[in-house]
Amino acid sequence: MAALLPCTHFSSAKFTFLPSSSSAITIPALRPLRPRLNHRRRLSLNSIRASVSTVDSPLASSTDGRDEKKKPLLQVTDLTAIIAESRQEIIKGVNLLVNEGEIHAIMGKNGSGKSTLSKVLVGHPDYEVTGGSVIFKGENLLEMEPEERSLAGLFMSFQSPVEIPGVNNIDFLQMAYNARRRQLGEPELGPIEFYAYIYPKLELVNMKTDFLNRNVNEGFSGGEKKRNEILQLAVLGADLAILDEIDSGLDVDALRDVAQAVNGILTSKNSVLMITHYRRLLEFIKPAFIHIMDLAWNIMNCCGFGMT
Amino acid sequence: MSVLSFTPHLHVHVSPILTPKPKPKPKLNKLRISSLQTFATPPPLPSFSDPFVLQLADSLEDSLPSSSQPLPLQKLRDFSSQTLLSTPWPSRKDEPFRFTDTSLIKSSLIEPVSHSAQFLDSLDVSGDTQFPNLIFIDGFLKESVLNLSNLPDGVYLGSLLRASDRIMERVSKFIGDFKWGDLFWSINGMGAPDLGVIYVPAGCKVEIPIYLKYFSVEGGNEESKKLPISNPRVFVLVEEGGEVGIVEEFVGKEGNACYWANPVLEVVIGGGGKVRHSYVQSQSLRAAHIKWTTVRQESSSTYELVEVSTGGKLSRHNVHVQQLGPETVTEVSTFHLSVTEQTQDLHSSLVFDYPRGYSRQLHKCIVAHPQGQAVFDGNVKVNRYAQQTDAGQLTRSLLLEPRATVNVKPNLQIIADDVKCSHGAAISDLEESQLFYFQARGIDLKTARKALVFSFGAEVIGRFPYPSVRKQAESHVKQLLETAYDSSS
Repeated sequence: MAALLPCTHFSSAKFTFLPSSSSAITIPALRPLRPRLNHRRRLSLNSIRASVSTVDSPLASSTDGRDEKKKPLLQVTDLTAIIAESRQEIIKGVNLLVNEGEIHAIMGKNGSGKSTLSKVLVGHPDYEVTGGSVIFKGENLLEMEPEERSLAGLFMSFQSPVEIPGVNNIDFLQMAYNARRRQLGEPELGPIEFYAYIYPKLELVNMKTDFLNRNVNEGFSGGEKKRNEILQLAVLGADLAILDEIDSGLDVDALRDVAQAVNGILTSKNSVLMITHYRRLLEFIKPAFIHIMDLAWNIMNCCGFGMT
Repeated sequence: MSVLSFTPHLHVHVSPILTPKPKPKPKLNKLRISSLQTFATPPPLPSFSDPFVLQLADSLEDSLPSSSQPLPLQKLRDFSSQTLLSTPWPSRKDEPFRFTDTSLIKSSLIEPVSHSAQFLDSLDVSGDTQFPNLIFIDGFLKESVLNLSNLPDGVYLGSLLRASDRIMERVSKFIGDFKWGDLFWSINGMGAPDLGVIYVPAGCKVEIPIYLKYFSVEGGNEESKKLPISNPRVFVLVEEGGEVGIVEEFVGKEGNACYWANPVLEVVIGGGGKVRHSYVQSQSLRAAHIKWTTVRQESSSTYELVEVSTGGKLSRHNVHVQQLGPETVTEVSTFHLSVTEQTQDLHSSLVFDYPRGYSRQLHKCIVAHPQGQAVFDGNVKVNRYAQQTDAGQLTRSLLLEPRATVNVKPNLQIIADDVKCSHGAAISDLEESQLFYFQARGIDLKTARKALVFSFGAEVIGRFPYPSVRKQAESHVKQLLETAYDSSS
């Protein structure tokens, strides 16, 4: 299995658990086969079954670094999705479990559906979910509007954030932050109070204050766009942050800044799902679980290991 | 509009003309008149005369004071009355008025306003105390609220009547002769009771903006069909190397008054001079507002226009920029907003006759009402000797309601063979990807739409060089969009 390759690669590093035991993905065992599965998917499922069947029972005894007492945060089961316009199936049965406080990484080839998965999770209108379920904090995520998902604590940093000419960065942040406060039943912040709130966050992403007076993402360099996404994460907070190729187009210094900022935001409660092509990012933000998204099967395999 | 309202929701005409058009048939008013001489020997009456225009011309003439006027103003009147009598009222069959219905004016009882000096003095109109300003009440210059103390020596601001001989002489050199004018230009020329003058001597840089405030006090209501007309006129002359910023503000006394403002602004910029022109039109939503701005630019001069037009039931801005020498810089940024049954029209024409001219034009409009309409005719003419001209034009329109209409006609006429010209036209609803970005950060769709619609215009509003003008326009546009949204949802 191609999925195993990166794991062995990493095995030279310091992960402590065997790849097989890592398949902490519990889903294959829990999930009944649904009748409308096509042949290909059935195949892939079987292969997964075969590879993970041994770990179904040891899982309960928590030998893979995953603390079974942790509450599940995001549970994706059998998710399938198509591109709304072309009706082409692009997510073909993905399973994923992220518990509170865990850092996950998804790797895989271009076009394997990594970014699509993250967009589907936040409710991007370009994609339509055709099957499966997504439970976030005990609620059905798929029934929520994109803004409700955000307010529920799901954050995605865009791979290439759109430019919004005419909308000031600080106004945008304030609008978003106040939407969150409304949700929590807290009073909204005025411009001055908000400035006091945001100022320390700027330092976190190593940005100057004039950054706030520019239009959202307009004329931003690649690095600035990524920093801006992390700044939004820092301002809004999130239970689960999906970082979609937060490392692409960044030089080493910028990457370190961004990674440091992410690490600075992390607490024992919130979780991260990183999507990346490069190991470099994983050296800065250390994941406990790495999933490989497979082009052929479009199935999430998992080589979880506690990189402590 | 009946034709358009039966066609699909979007009715768009984009007809860029990249090849030279055959010359339009010469207008009768192309005739050059250089002195009073022509008045003594009136030209033969044209074969057609529009009774409606004749009647209007009569009533305008009657409304003017009979006392003798300074020569330049008299010259303007004579010139205008001649052309007026030979020009019929425009119909939808005339290309410049193909999408602009002027029947609102034609079906009303037009009454020229006449105010006495005492009446003007008695009006308490607060001008900006901080900046020097000229105030017009229904086209009449109210001189008592000038604030000239901050102006550098040699700068003149006021009525032509009180200008020095030298300024009078300079102004009269340029006045009257304008072959691109239309009927409305001539109506103003004939009906203008006074001429406001801004004169900036050579090399003088005026740091503070000069305000031109136009108030419409007289107004009828819809039942009475009365339409008081006012014809304010201002002439700006910036001599070589001079610089000035002017802010034009048009406001009505109350929200729903019917009146017709028919202003003209003429600008002449000497070599190396610079004029920053801000123009805010927030007339009553029942008013007709037809404005002319003509600019003549000598070599290496700069003209920057930023316009925000939101008022009027029928609003049209005719902008004509003419090169008088090489290496001119022209920047025109305009934003039109139609939130009710309004027509917002921009007819612009940039004419290049000399080498290395540079121009950038951005026109944006939002139509947020099913019976709202926006019209844009943007002509850029690069004539034979205007080599190495760099002209860029972009128009973007946002249609927010079904049946909302926009007619855009960007057209380039290029004769020179070594030029860089671009134009673009886009008509759309809001961008999905931008809306989603807001939603992904927890902002609901309605708030996101509002912010994006506002930001569409903010690109132009942000170009006002003066913060106070910018802020005022921002809050005004925000308020209009807010009410438009509340009424539609």
